[in-house]
Amino acid sequence: MSANGGDAMKVVPVRHYGRWVGGVTVLVALAMVIHTLFSKVPSGIVVCHTSDGVRHCAQSVRWRFSWNIVGQYFTTWEMFHGLLVTLELTVLAMAIGITLGVIIAIMRMSPSRLLSAPAWTYTWFFRGTPVYVQLIFWFNIAALYYTFSLGVPFTHLSVLTFHSNSVFVPFTAAVVAFGLNEAAYMSEIARAGLLAVDEGQIEAASAIGMTRAQTLRLVILPQAMRVIIPPTGNEVISMLKTTSLASAVGVIELLGAAQNIYAANYQVMPLLIVASLWYLIVTTILSIGQFYLERHFAKGATRTPPPTPIARIKADVRGIAAKMRSRRPEVVR
Amino acid sequence: MTDFMVQALGVRKSYGGVDVLKGVDLNVKRGEVTCLIGPSGSGKSTLLRCINHLEQHDAGELRVDGQLVGYEARDGKLYERSNKAICAERARIGMVFQRFNLFQHLSVLDNVTIGQIKVRGIGEKDAQQRARELLARVGLANKEANYPSQLSGGQQQRVAIARALAMDPKLMLFDEPTSALDPELVGEVLDVMKDLAHSGMTMVVVTHEMGFAREVADTAYFLDQGIIEESGDPKAMLTNPQSSRLQGFLSKVL
Repeated sequence: MSANGGDAMKVVPVRHYGRWVGGVTVLVALAMVIHTLFSKVPSGIVVCHTSDGVRHCAQSVRWRFSWNIVGQYFTTWEMFHGLLVTLELTVLAMAIGITLGVIIAIMRMSPSRLLSAPAWTYTWFFRGTPVYVQLIFWFNIAALYYTFSLGVPFTHLSVLTFHSNSVFVPFTAAVVAFGLNEAAYMSEIARAGLLAVDEGQIEAASAIGMTRAQTLRLVILPQAMRVIIPPTGNEVISMLKTTSLASAVGVIELLGAAQNIYAANYQVMPLLIVASLWYLIVTTILSIGQFYLERHFAKGATRTPPPTPIARIKADVRGIAAKMRSRRPEVVR
Repeated sequence: MTDFMVQALGVRKSYGGVDVLKGVDLNVKRGEVTCLIGPSGSGKSTLLRCINHLEQHDAGELRVDGQLVGYEARDGKLYERSNKAICAERARIGMVFQRFNLFQHLSVLDNVTIGQIKVRGIGEKDAQQRARELLARVGLANKEANYPSQLSGGQQQRVAIARALAMDPKLMLFDEPTSALDPELVGEVLDVMKDLAHSGMTMVVVTHEMGFAREVADTAYFLDQGIIEESGDPKAMLTNPQSSRLQGFLSKVL
């Protein structure tokens, strides 16, 4: 294909000047960030030494971000213990949140007003008040209820009685507060998932004689999962970070552990970095888990499952290689 | 045991004040193929859905295999059946939908085994063996590991037929089984249905395929605006329609 009788014509690609300017700006900003992260500042400590009878004095320098102190505390038992408590809080609160959330979502979709109205009210209340307020509320519940009893309603007959102060220790208060709060959000996520399943699936299940419970468990929930999983993954990651609020009522989780250490040694910034690094590590692992979970539940919904990151990198490398080859001068005839 | 698999007498159904079925009489003999034809909105799908109790009829008498659908007559009263009893009734009535409604999250094989395992309580090995026989019968022996989204419409509908047959039904209901298919895929589904009809299955088919009705059906019913306008031998009905409504309908579809 040619315009002037068989001679090769050069192809001139469009120049994206805007992209170049943007790219350079980003590179400069990135260099500045890396530079300041690893910059050194005078430590305020003057070190002197004498050699050949001459006394030399100089101010020593230290990392601006005190990386040496970060490294020193990163793998201490206090931090490990804090991490463990954070993970426990997250798992327990999410377990309550997901279980209760699914129940509330199913109640919300019930034809009976007696079931749907309370479900709506629950979501309205727990989404409408700050989780921090709820946390302090549960921590102080003993002010309202000195004891909790298991027995016959509206009578004084009881089988088991607990003292609030012995049950609602900081850890339990945090689990209950985060779990109940999360249930409100999870119910909306679960409801969206249940509604996303085609009506025809329910009819088909009924037509082969499945009961309502079987239809829900075998047909609706597995398909709703595809819609429920991604936002639930976000909720888990969000919960992991929300648990840091528990430090305010005295739970020694990741942030609490860091605070305990810096209360003693005044190394506030390095210890906040230590806690942040641990949060980043766990959220990264959770994101990877979420990817594979989504892939699993996408079965049947997509004709080809999304590639794994490794497959994607391979494809990128192949793509770049192909681009490099095509950059070679070509003769267009 | 009666000679009739389905008996409807004055069946009525309305949705929010709109009468969809205004007293329908219908009799389906065992081993017969019955086609319901008529314009959209005539109530033929609703009638089909009442037969397996996906919809509850408001009035009239509807019997499947001699038993009242959804009710039990005792001491001069009609007792509404429990959900469990209704599910058990439905399990023996196969239904094939216009839009296939295969379980999207299950492989083809699992679609055909799930009802056998979970509803009929058959062991997994036996259920799979039966499923493979049925998939071979509908010509899809090599597709058992695929998911529904990987199949053509015609293939999906044949899997749906296999899924219904796996419940060992005494009656098969088809709700416009070829209406959502590309024209070139209609034949493969009709062939499976013809094969099924020749094997002696009792079938009630809502369809716009007049050729199928003429060739395969023993009886045809023409519904219009919730009543049966005309019924009888499909060949006679379709070549020599008596009512003006059927004449008008046939002039549009043929």
